[in-house]
Amino acid sequence: MEGYAYEYSHDSSMDSITFSDTEYPRNSYENKNPKERGISKDKLIKNTIVDHVLTQESEFDIDDNLLYSDDEYDEDYDDPYMNSSFIEPISTIKERKGLSKGSVPNLKYECLTTQNIFENMLAKVHHLQPIFNIPPEDILILLQHYDWNEERLLEVWTDRMDDLLIEIGINPSSGNISSSINGNGQMRSISDIIENKNSYCNNQTETNKDENEEYQIPNTRTRDISFKNNFFCTICCEEKSTETFSLECNHEYCISCYRHYIEDKLYTGNIINCMGCTLALKNDDIDKIMGHPSSTKLMLSSIKSFVSKHNRNYKWCPFADCNCIIHLKDTSSLPEYSRLHYSPFVKCINLHKFCFTCGFEIHAPADCIITNEWVKKARVESENLNWVLSHTKECPKCSVNIEKDGGCNHMVCSSCKYEFCWICEGDWAPHGNSFYQCTLYKNDDNNNNNNNSTNTNSITDVNKSLKKYTFYYKMFNEHEVSAKLDWKLGQNVGNKVKELQEKLGISWIEGQFLTDSIRMLNEGRTALKWSFAVAFYSDASHNLTKIFIDNQSLLSKAVEDLSELLQIKDPEIIMKRKTDFYNKTGYVENRTFALMECGRDLLCKGICKAN
Amino acid sequence: MSTKRISKELNDLAKDPITSFSAGPVGDDLFHWQASIMGPADSPYAGGVFFLSIHFPTDYPFKPPKISFTTKIYHPNINANGNICLDILKDQWSPALTLSKVLLSICSLLTDANPDDPLVPEIAHIYKTDRAKYEATAREWTKKYAV
Repeated sequence: MEGYAYEYSHDSSMDSITFSDTEYPRNSYENKNPKERGISKDKLIKNTIVDHVLTQESEFDIDDNLLYSDDEYDEDYDDPYMNSSFIEPISTIKERKGLSKGSVPNLKYECLTTQNIFENMLAKVHHLQPIFNIPPEDILILLQHYDWNEERLLEVWTDRMDDLLIEIGINPSSGNISSSINGNGQMRSISDIIENKNSYCNNQTETNKDENEEYQIPNTRTRDISFKNNFFCTICCEEKSTETFSLECNHEYCISCYRHYIEDKLYTGNIINCMGCTLALKNDDIDKIMGHPSSTKLMLSSIKSFVSKHNRNYKWCPFADCNCIIHLKDTSSLPEYSRLHYSPFVKCINLHKFCFTCGFEIHAPADCIITNEWVKKARVESENLNWVLSHTKECPKCSVNIEKDGGCNHMVCSSCKYEFCWICEGDWAPHGNSFYQCTLYKNDDNNNNNNNSTNTNSITDVNKSLKKYTFYYKMFNEHEVSAKLDWKLGQNVGNKVKELQEKLGISWIEGQFLTDSIRMLNEGRTALKWSFAVAFYSDASHNLTKIFIDNQSLLSKAVEDLSELLQIKDPEIIMKRKTDFYNKTGYVENRTFALMECGRDLLCKGICKAN
Repeated sequence: MSTKRISKELNDLAKDPITSFSAGPVGDDLFHWQASIMGPADSPYAGGVFFLSIHFPTDYPFKPPKISFTTKIYHPNINANGNICLDILKDQWSPALTLSKVLLSICSLLTDANPDDPLVPEIAHIYKTDRAKYEATAREWTKKYAV
């Protein structure tokens, strides 16, 4: 499933290129509550982890969000997004235009990055700090252990505070050497095995101590790296002069074993303990041992496991290399969406749009069920078909090999100048009119088959259904390819707008009609693409299906026209035909909406259903 | 590195043998061991000798050894293939543990099964509801397969 979704990554990521850094006031994170900055405990955390996590985005200022109490935090948190459009679900576009049959409540969601979630977590830490009165790092470990479930943690905390600290491996009086004895003494509450483990390890370290007594520096500094000559490490069983590390428990191992051990555990997202007992390594210790800020990785895996454990409310953006997480606080409206055959489409901060339920790209007019069926089918059948359909096509007239590298489906053979349709490979002439004939699946041998015997019928049925599928899959695929080419077009649109600005002195704002056109073209193509999945599963004899197919043809025509328009290179002609751009873009928008509604109608009435 | 560690464990076992089990490499392969556990006296497995096959991973001790019973045994945490459900063989493994610690844990698992986290739910159910029946069957199996 995921793999499939990734294939589409190029299609709509076009948007992110065209709009990045312009519309969204990222900086609005800054300068909030500047007075409240600079609490030293925060600094502690900040120094240890935050900076490392946020190295890529220096504009983020952690301190600010850290300081919110919970309620306040939520409100303010939405704020930067409020002015921008991505808090608004895509479905509202439909509602704006007035719906015939039922409407769905707006989806209220927020788009988070791992940084945001991390800030959220730090905010929780900060929130709990006055209650717990232990260093923030320790609270981080506690929360990590309890899956960031504050309430459960508080419950257990009030019940048995001291036991909890020992159980999770936070030494209650860290920095005090006697605590190690204390800590081990109190370990009794944990399982026998652990205790075995402890006593074993203690023995081991004691023998080590004996062996190395002359080199032993009085252990006043705990939790630190020290250098030992002829140190015997019980893990690798090697005796060497090396750096070693130990926590307050005095379980001392060579640094390379510790590194190996931590490296393995960083991706689990769980708390990392001393190899010899249950004492937890803090992020600070991890960074010290590894020599670089590795605790970032641990926090990231911790966040990842948090998201996957809360996958009802949190979803990763499925687009490749996008680290956004959509957080839907209230999932109660989702059943309503599926009942009315809407899909809860969401948009991440990088403007990747996807379906919250199934994680695919925007698949309207198809709903999630049809999409799943179609994708499943495509996966089974596509291996054969891809081979047949991929790569080049021959010119229907002169048979020269043609590769389509962009633009609309109106092809002119460069060698014989024959004009044909890339999709049906037929003459272009009939396509130029209002109807896009080749999007019609011709059920040609309708009458002939009726006379055949039942046996041959079933065989021809299989052939026919495969033929039907091949047809629709081909259409789906063509639009997929076209969409990818449009994406390339979208990459250049910025340059085009620039060109307009430079050559003709057009303002940037005025040049945005080009960007809008590309975006609409892409949306139209995507809708068209998925409409073939709906058409495939629809009862072809029903009148509504016929209307749907007519709508498809109209959108096809509209999309091709717009695509052709976007091929124009000369900036002057572009400006001259500006109204054309507006009109065609508007038309594509209308047609797309009409097709989506018509498709939904098919689904609601049960004319289109998965087998 | 793992060779040194495994040799050390082998030497330690030779130096201070433990009565309840014995273990050593099969042939020349230091990474493949065989072990035998005496059925604990206070358990229905008393009198039986159970063989186990042990494979050390190449990154031992950072990864746990793979241990399975080759002798059939009736136990809620050990299935028909001899696989053992024991936390220290999975996520609770620590490089500071040794094979002898693990084998001791398996011995204590024979005495005290953990029916709340069973590998064979049917046996766990009988263990919880009809302890006498469980013990009888375990004794029977021991007699049949492990003596």
